Amino acid sequence: MESLYLLIPLSVLLVVIIGALFWNAIRGGQFDDLEGPAHRVLQDDDRPDGRAPHNEGDEEKNN
Amino acid sequence: MNAVAPSVDVRCFHCGESVPDGVQFAIRYRQRNEPACCAGCQAVAQSIIDAGLDAYYTQREQPADRAAPLPDALREQLKLYDDPQLQAGFVANDGELKDAALMIEGITCAACIWLNERQIARVPGVADVSINYTSHRARVRWNPALTTLSAVLEAVSAIGYRALPYDRARQEATQAKARKSALFRLWVAGLSMMQVMMFAVPVYLAPAGEIEPRWLSLMNWASCVLTLPVVVYSSWPFYVSAWRDLRRGRTGMDLPVGISVLLAFVASVYATITHHGEVYYDSVSMFVFLLLTGRYLESQARAKAGAALEQLAALIPAFAHQLMDYPKSRTTHEAAVTRLVVGDVLLIKPGETVPADARILEGESQVNEALLTGEGLPVDKRPGDRVTGGTVNTASPLIVSVEKIGQESRLASIVRLLDRALAEKPRIAQLADRVSGYFVAVLLVAAAITWLYWHLHDPVHALPIAVAVLVISCPCALSLATPVALTAATGALARRGVLISRGHALETLGRATDVVFDKTGTLTLGEPRIRKAYPLGDIDEAALLGGIAALERHSEHPLARAFAHTPCPAEARDVVNHPGGGLTGRIEGVQYAVGKPDFVRLHAHVQPPPPPESKEGTLLALASDGKWLGWVLLTDTLRPDAAATVAMLKSRGVRTHILSGDAAGAVESVARELGIDHWQAGVSPEDKLAQLKLLQQQGARVLMVGDGVNDAPVLAAANVSMAMGAGADIAHASGDAVLLENRLSRIPEAIAFASRTRRIIRENLLWALLYNVVALPVAMAGWVTPWLASAGMAASSLLVILNALRLARAPRGL
Amino acid sequence: MENQATYNYKVVRQFAIMTVVWGIVGMLLGVFIASQLVWPELNLGQYFHFGRLRALHTSAVIFAFGGCGLIATSYYVVQRTCNVRLFSDGLAAFTFWGYQLVIVLCVITYPLGITFNKEYAEMEWPIKILLAIVWVAYAVVFFGTIAKRKVKHIYVANWFYGAFILAVALLHIVNSAFVPVSLWKSYSAYSGAVDAMVQWWYGHNAVGFFLTAGFLGMMYYFVPKQAGRPVYSYRLSVVHFWALIFTYMWAGPHHLHYTALPDWTQSIGMVFSLILLAPSWGGMINGIMTLSGAWHKLRTDPILKFLVTALSFYGMSTFEGPMMAIKTVNALSHYTDWTVGHVHSGALGWVAMITIGSIYYLIPRLFDREQMYSIKLIEAHFWIATLGIVLYISSMWIAGVTQGLMWRAVNADGTLTYSFIDSVKATHPYYFIRFLGGCCFVSGMFLMFYNVLRTVFDGKPVNAPIPAVPAHA
Repeated sequence: MESLYLLIPLSVLLVVIIGALFWNAIRGGQFDDLEGPAHRVLQDDDRPDGRAPHNEGDEEKNN
Repeated sequence: MNAVAPSVDVRCFHCGESVPDGVQFAIRYRQRNEPACCAGCQAVAQSIIDAGLDAYYTQREQPADRAAPLPDALREQLKLYDDPQLQAGFVANDGELKDAALMIEGITCAACIWLNERQIARVPGVADVSINYTSHRARVRWNPALTTLSAVLEAVSAIGYRALPYDRARQEATQAKARKSALFRLWVAGLSMMQVMMFAVPVYLAPAGEIEPRWLSLMNWASCVLTLPVVVYSSWPFYVSAWRDLRRGRTGMDLPVGISVLLAFVASVYATITHHGEVYYDSVSMFVFLLLTGRYLESQARAKAGAALEQLAALIPAFAHQLMDYPKSRTTHEAAVTRLVVGDVLLIKPGETVPADARILEGESQVNEALLTGEGLPVDKRPGDRVTGGTVNTASPLIVSVEKIGQESRLASIVRLLDRALAEKPRIAQLADRVSGYFVAVLLVAAAITWLYWHLHDPVHALPIAVAVLVISCPCALSLATPVALTAATGALARRGVLISRGHALETLGRATDVVFDKTGTLTLGEPRIRKAYPLGDIDEAALLGGIAALERHSEHPLARAFAHTPCPAEARDVVNHPGGGLTGRIEGVQYAVGKPDFVRLHAHVQPPPPPESKEGTLLALASDGKWLGWVLLTDTLRPDAAATVAMLKSRGVRTHILSGDAAGAVESVARELGIDHWQAGVSPEDKLAQLKLLQQQGARVLMVGDGVNDAPVLAAANVSMAMGAGADIAHASGDAVLLENRLSRIPEAIAFASRTRRIIRENLLWALLYNVVALPVAMAGWVTPWLASAGMAASSLLVILNALRLARAPRGL
Repeated sequence: MENQATYNYKVVRQFAIMTVVWGIVGMLLGVFIASQLVWPELNLGQYFHFGRLRALHTSAVIFAFGGCGLIATSYYVVQRTCNVRLFSDGLAAFTFWGYQLVIVLCVITYPLGITFNKEYAEMEWPIKILLAIVWVAYAVVFFGTIAKRKVKHIYVANWFYGAFILAVALLHIVNSAFVPVSLWKSYSAYSGAVDAMVQWWYGHNAVGFFLTAGFLGMMYYFVPKQAGRPVYSYRLSVVHFWALIFTYMWAGPHHLHYTALPDWTQSIGMVFSLILLAPSWGGMINGIMTLSGAWHKLRTDPILKFLVTALSFYGMSTFEGPMMAIKTVNALSHYTDWTVGHVHSGALGWVAMITIGSIYYLIPRLFDREQMYSIKLIEAHFWIATLGIVLYISSMWIAGVTQGLMWRAVNADGTLTYSFIDSVKATHPYYFIRFLGGCCFVSGMFLMFYNVLRTVFDGKPVNAPIPAVPAHA
């Protein structure tokens, strides 16, 4: 049962870590738009034949 | 593409509208030629495809809006947004980068967002962009050394959308911050509740004494640490609001909440330190979590209520073409509308919005005042006439002199009217708050008496019993009863095309006794259709319509749209547009004139035969050299479900009215056709308001259904209002509800649903009250422990929530 | 930026192919040990004895097959949704070869009897250390990729994958605390009841974070992609994630019902197992409702069939699990083959089905083909696999309940009605049916292997270019 001395503080610590993580996510705007991401994933066209051949987009923003 | 039979309706590849016969615009898409309805759509589609964003067409779920080509003047205007002085309002500096919020208009589905994001990101110098799916707002950051804001705006225009700076972004940032912290408070309480429960449940389940004291103490300390953030952080808003109430000498719902949270926590800490007595950590965190859940749901529902006034300002364009040296010179320069003064001379090109109230100096045109009056047909304007800011010049250029600006303008006065109407709204919520205020005061006294009594009789249990009294009878269920039901019902209705934008709408809707309709665009479609053709002489109906259609192909006039689907055998050439009159042109070598009878008489040099008798609609005539060929009557048609809607309303015992700015003939015929008993024609916005007030004084609870800006004050003054989704933006904002698909038949359904909602709210309130009445004496008698009180409070809240969620299912018959 | 114009599909390809290979190995082992239970004479010598091969079977299907599937898909998903190439190609290659080495070492050592004697964590300490290093490298690659992402939002699938990676690291490290006595022998650092607690804290959370969270990540990407519909409610999926995190960690002790552990610690497990049902079902409904408006696709698309059936089994086993955690039910089910059936309804129905569906989705994209070599073969695979699962689960359920009832039956005088061997005899026919079910499932895997090989040879390995996308802050 002595493991409880480890497990209980560990669980409290874990809660604090998860809390910090969530706080960061919320501040970083991860939950601002809870509809768009579902659509964005579909818009990423990963079929091997469906890609537009142009690559102008690739040279931009090297910053 | 040309092989298709003429009866098949060819749809524009870009916007999905039907392509008029004889129009030949092709879009090159994936090795195929696709049809376009106009040059605008063609240009936009081509620039989308050329940018390598053609995947848009496979991803979108809805066709785009019809695109207008981007005139050079607009480009010049966009440049003005690069002015640092103008940017001060909505652009923030972020290190080397600039940061602005833009409102993107024309977004219909997820693919539009995809398209816009990529298009903006393609602009060299743009650091990042993201568009919120729900609000259609873009945040763009760019490097001012590499690009300009106007380049970004232009990129959006090039693909057929409109981007406008969104200057309320800062206000919204504070709201977003508040929402985020509310969510986090809730989340902290939830996490803490789950973890504390983990330590609490075994203690409840284990037979007394089975758990060794040292484990008990360890678990209590862990619970204490986990509850601390709930007490300090999550409950903070309760303390603040309780303190605010106290200072004003009032008692709110938050006072007992704050007291019981602090009391229970302090008592628990004391018990943890002294190893003596009960701990209530789980009760505290559960209590706070449940309360915050209710609050969060409520605030989310309220956030959906749109901000009305900001959208009106968007009707006025930001820039105007100013003629500096009129009448000596015709050179224009772009000026910000805010800097105009009375007497400035402006050029208003066709298709542009009139920037200020002004008098016409030169030019004849037609102005669409739909935004102001709700009426779809443009009004003729001649030199000397007044034009109103916010209306749209449709036909030909006008030179005007500014008469009124800013707060003096008609639009501004409508805004003020709306403002006042909004302020006059009854605040049912305040009443509820007052009632629960008294309740809370009683509750506090009851808790104090309980404590005193038990302190004298059984001091060990005095505190837990007092806490139990506070917790168990906390008017949570009472405060949840209404908002949760409203939220659930709002969601269910939204799925059925009825968007509730104000909290009270559902409550009032269910009790509506009278429905007042606007006519044009509400009961009718708001666009002219061919009602009847009167061919004369040896010409038949098809030839008459075909001739007119051939000419009208070349016109952008709203009346011309009535002929968009009419087959025309021949092509018209040398078509000349005579604003305010009609068209002349050549078909197979013969000169024709089409338009108003007077105009046709002048151009065809022929006396008209007596026109067919009609009280309503617009009469067009066609004549060729010296010969009157016939008449066509155009009328605005009724919405297909209008009659059924009125019938359904009547069967519910709801009285129906029409208040319209139109002429008596048209209104009367509509009223007769639909079976509407009360109608009034030719009423101004101010009269409408007065009529409405009169009805209300007679004890009616009025549902007003309309669109258009002139309705806005009336919509706001009605007990409850609905706006057509396809109406002007302002109507969206000022209506308590919006009919997204313009389906009138949703109105009686929504009324039925609203009364069901009211019933459920009443059930909820009754239950909450009953619960409190029963629970309070039980708790005072000391029969419940705090955790049981928490559970009881939670159960009663849960019951209320579950009852409300019955509404979330798609309403029956809807 | 150097050569960043393409995604790193190479490591995804490697893991995807090995998923199929290890799937066949692990499931063949399963069929073999199932047949040992039917025909005990098949226990050929000490190296191929049931006791040693069973550990190899569980590890091979969970960590080799499931693990490779998870890593393959997570590498794919994190790249596609973050719009950026993997954080480090070298480190990614290391995770592949390192992980394969761990598996091969297990395959060699387990039959030799070199084990740590902890369920689902039988590897000896040198392998444990290697695995820990590989796993940290995996975490670095995954989170490094997220850190340099070009899309502001982190898609929900990545949250699930991330939780899976972190939790497994934590679980592995805590559970593996060892005291070495020689190169190939060590003992657990814990003792007695504590060891049992830690072991089942690990065991349960391995199910929670490895077999649930990780595969939910897979589900939240591949179901919408294959169906061509956005997740039914993205909001719900985010809530699902946090709810799972809140509750899962604490449901472990139910594995120790009716053991030497204090009653009250078992009670926590029971309560939380029941609470767990809500987020699990929320997730399942969210996944299945994603198909609303695309139900017709189910008729023609066997890949979607795999994914949706997986979700149904997920719902079924997450219902069955908490039910079995109720003490009274557990009194009947504990130590019986019902548990085995429950595990397999999760492992075959949920884990294997969703992995197979996802791999079918991936293979053509990784090898520049429009679709798999044969859709008909996928269809055949689906039906034969489903038949196998149904045979397996129903036979084990009947066997388990029979065992439970026989074990608890007492005569009027309080003596046991049946001896243990009676129950063994009674369950013998069901073991045969279970064997048939296993044969069905593994033959489906062979169909898949053939189909994958044909697709691979028809196509060529590609690294897809990274589409230009709005950069993020």
